[in-house]
Amino acid sequence: MKYFFAALLLSLCISPAIAEQGLTVKQAWIREAPPGAAMMAAYLTIDNTSARDQALLSVSSPRFAHITLHRSLNVDGVARMRSLERIALPAHSSVTLEPGGYHLMMSMPDKRLASGERVPLVLHLADHSEIRVTAQVRKKP
Amino acid sequence: MTDHNTAVWLARIIPLLLITALLPACGPPPPPSLQQATLLPTAKTIADFNLINDKGEPFHLDNLKGRWTFAFFGYTHCPDVCPTSLAMLARVMKRLAQRNDLDRLPRGLFVSVDPERDTPAKLARYVAYFDPAFSAVTGDPEQLKLLTRQLGILFLKSPGDSSQDYLIDHSAAIVLFDPQGKFHALFNVPHEADKIASDFVLIKNYYEENG
Repeated sequence: MKYFFAALLLSLCISPAIAEQGLTVKQAWIREAPPGAAMMAAYLTIDNTSARDQALLSVSSPRFAHITLHRSLNVDGVARMRSLERIALPAHSSVTLEPGGYHLMMSMPDKRLASGERVPLVLHLADHSEIRVTAQVRKKP
Repeated sequence: MTDHNTAVWLARIIPLLLITALLPACGPPPPPSLQQATLLPTAKTIADFNLINDKGEPFHLDNLKGRWTFAFFGYTHCPDVCPTSLAMLARVMKRLAQRNDLDRLPRGLFVSVDPERDTPAKLARYVAYFDPAFSAVTGDPEQLKLLTRQLGILFLKSPGDSSQDYLIDHSAAIVLFDPQGKFHALFNVPHEADKIASDFVLIKNYYEENG
């Protein structure tokens, strides 16, 4: 029974984070870094069920010194990565950060993060609100 | 068109059609139809290059010979595309390892186009994470370009947040070398492990039957 409640608590921790403004963040995960890799990538999905356009401006975490919004693009077979000032979250739509597309570039973790670890993230939005989520470190989606 | 003209036209076209239909019977069978691979019409001979492997030893064209090689070009500071591609390549190897008709698995080779930050020791640990059998090479930018130019692979530094945080734009394709060390086929994105594995078997069988 003790384990059941522990599991329940744990599942609550990783359940979708819902902000008041109609934004839901789900499936947040961080790709485990291969040894020696200084950079990690995090992915998640943001549903904007409200009638108001929103935008993601930045993300912070106590475990990483620096996080930037990034996008991988394939231009004529060449993989290019660019940092972004914002990711638009249009009303009544869903934006997915996924391998090969939008992602969070996570640099300088406080220590090596292993698969299974949970990392708190704070998403900072254009209207100055914040969404707190927990991302799990994993080898694959 | 008059009847006469039609007859002349048919007289010209029919032999052509016959030749076209019979021609394949004279040469080798047509190459297999592939899902993801682009096969070079003739495998391309590569001029020698001088790189360094993940043990710090020299790596030349001769080191590519004797075995099929899948090569991917990237850098370890790449958090998104490179781990995705290497994990996919590791899945290709798993699929191939499950078959019992292959006497030897192809080599998985990561070519780092970032010699400034990717040392051989760092590369060894990095690639082994994806597949213990993977190996890596890097080298002077001129030597890397000597190889990549011959393959149509591009790489170019692009500024990041600081001088140490630069990014590198690089071709996302996977190159297949045959056991003679020739550039044999190219796999463009998006990559799917199952399709690449089955294409590889078709390419290898065709190569062994037709030289």
